[in-house]
Amino acid sequence: MRNIWIVAKREYLERVRRRSFIIVTLLLPVLMAAIFIVPAKLSTSRGGTRNVAVVTSTPEFGERIKQRLEAGADQSRDPFRGGMSFTFKVLLSTDATDRGRSRLRDEVRAGKLDGFLWVTDDAIRERKVTYHGRDAGDPFERSSIRASVNRSLVEKRLAERGVNQADVDELMAGISLETVKVDGSGDNPTNNRVLFGTVFALVMLLYSTLLFYGSSVMRAVTEEKNSRVVEVLLSSATPHELMAGKIVGVGAVGLTQMLIWALMGAVVAGPAVGGMLAFSPGQSFRIAPAMLVAFAAAFLLGYTLYSSAYAGLGALVNSDQEGQQLHFIIAAPMILAVVLLMPVLRNPASPLAIVLSLFPFTSPVIMYVRVAMQQVPLWQVLLSLAIMLVTIYYVIWLSARIYRIGILMYGKRPTLPEILKWIRYAGA
Amino acid sequence: MYTVELIELAKSYGDFVAVSELSLGIQPGEIFGLLGPNGAGKTSTIRMMIGITMPDSGEVRLFAEPFRRSHLSRVGYLPEERGLYRGMNVLEHLVFLAELKGVRASEAARRARSWCERLEFTEWLDKRVEELSKGMQQKVQFVGALLHDPEIIVMDEPFSGLDPANAVSLRDALLELKKNGKTILFSTHRMDQVERMCDSICLVHRGTAVLKGELSAIKAQYGRSHVHIEYQGDPAFLQDQSLVASHNDYGNYVEVRLAPGADSQELLRKVLAGARVMRFDVVEPSLEEIFIDVVTKPRAEEAAHA
Repeated sequence: MRNIWIVAKREYLERVRRRSFIIVTLLLPVLMAAIFIVPAKLSTSRGGTRNVAVVTSTPEFGERIKQRLEAGADQSRDPFRGGMSFTFKVLLSTDATDRGRSRLRDEVRAGKLDGFLWVTDDAIRERKVTYHGRDAGDPFERSSIRASVNRSLVEKRLAERGVNQADVDELMAGISLETVKVDGSGDNPTNNRVLFGTVFALVMLLYSTLLFYGSSVMRAVTEEKNSRVVEVLLSSATPHELMAGKIVGVGAVGLTQMLIWALMGAVVAGPAVGGMLAFSPGQSFRIAPAMLVAFAAAFLLGYTLYSSAYAGLGALVNSDQEGQQLHFIIAAPMILAVVLLMPVLRNPASPLAIVLSLFPFTSPVIMYVRVAMQQVPLWQVLLSLAIMLVTIYYVIWLSARIYRIGILMYGKRPTLPEILKWIRYAGA
Repeated sequence: MYTVELIELAKSYGDFVAVSELSLGIQPGEIFGLLGPNGAGKTSTIRMMIGITMPDSGEVRLFAEPFRRSHLSRVGYLPEERGLYRGMNVLEHLVFLAELKGVRASEAARRARSWCERLEFTEWLDKRVEELSKGMQQKVQFVGALLHDPEIIVMDEPFSGLDPANAVSLRDALLELKKNGKTILFSTHRMDQVERMCDSICLVHRGTAVLKGELSAIKAQYGRSHVHIEYQGDPAFLQDQSLVASHNDYGNYVEVRLAPGADSQELLRKVLAGARVMRFDVVEPSLEEIFIDVVTKPRAEEAAHA
């Protein structure tokens, strides 16, 4: 035990003092923030106002559209960029001639208008309502224009059939859908979009840290083997102590990094999350403690599994390059899990999601997604955990056998039959 | 009582027999040479001796007890394949190695400083390993193997890769350790380099001990039975099997092992009959000659039976 501690301590101190660790730990959150915030800032700063011309056959219809657009009634609230990112300034026209159309085109081209909307009665009848914009443009802008035109059109048709305006408003009153996640502690109203985004971000973090720290163990083992340090170490410690110390030490580095990120997140991102919530009034959002516990568990179990496998692989190869080539074998299930992340996020109870959350090499990521997104039956959580622990036990057993012989084998990479022989071989 | 005792050790890797039925004993306070050509099984033997690998059969005894891992805190090991963590601070590296041997960190740091003062490389303690020259790294590793003040010091090919000056200082260091009562075992394939240092030796060939014992006794047993002759002329005398048991011919120079009971003066007369003699030297055999003699004898016998 003492040797495991000494090896782990060295590994830990050597790594956290490295300049690269400090830089990555401090800069990654800044980078992440930049990825989310800068585009949002850029796109909102672009347009306070959109100058849009609306061409209709009757001024009344034009007026309806203008009101809705200028009120921003149909703009969706984008949590990353915040509520209404732009306002419309609408110019009305009933000049439906070709000459009028080409004049508007010129004005768009000249930059006097951002675009014009062609919703004459003829266009509606022929289902050829068009928006001519200076650029293909922002999907949020498009969808709010589409919604405003549709709503105005429906109101107009209802009015034409004699429904009075008050009745129209009552009939058209919609609801806003509130998502409620049912879990053990009762009903928790959640902001689905934010939950979705948070889970996605956490899963990507889980994925990249698992693979990064797992493969760090591999590189460390290969380095020790290559530099022959391992020979001296083996005259004091057993291979198992070395392997365990390595895994514990590197894992502690990963935990430290995430703890720092969590603290940074709490201090720096707190207001930002608050800001995001301001756009979703009436909906509470918080990262449930259970979600964090699940995250820690997913990291620890996944890391133990992957780093043990990586330690065995590291002992097999003779150089980093060789390790990189074989790296894929171990990383493949994790990559698969991320590729299938979207279907799982959309439907966390599908058979695909259930299978992937039980399969030990994908379960750290997928079971985590499911626990965060829905109420997972307890038996599935326990079964996944049991499969995981059994797999960890056997992977460690297997890796330790490969490790203890592999670290002393230099030169040619062993063939599969040779590796099998090592595994069967009981004495060291 | 032996400090190190190996009893009929055997180890195979697949079909390859690395060590078979190897036994030896090392007395307290002696310098013991494990000699033999490359691939003879020296490293495999050493690895079993210090618990890096387990023997397939046989027993390792250290300090007159069956091998226990706790013995390892009293053993210092310098492997043939030397290496350090390249990016690590020298002092921290030394402390790490000593901690693994059970020395407290503060005590290890104190000892590392005093060692480095003796070897005059204090200024390197705060550098990183990769900034050191190859020779300096060797010294660091040497200190690392000794920081925990081991009673047994095991060095696998310690002289390989050392320049002559460093080889001399290593030899002096080993002799000093011996003076302090340490038991030292080292292996080498360069027998000429070490034969004056060893109290006892074990010659290993193809995984077995072919000759072992105190060096002086071994040499006495062979006696002054070798003759080095420098000559010009007819080498016919070499064919006289009543006088010459075997020989290494270098052209104008030949090393002859006398046949049992043969008289060196008789050989001299034979040589003079057909050649001019520049030098005629009756000597103790070198370890290398003994080794060649031992490993070729069985084959000569096989040839005789055939």
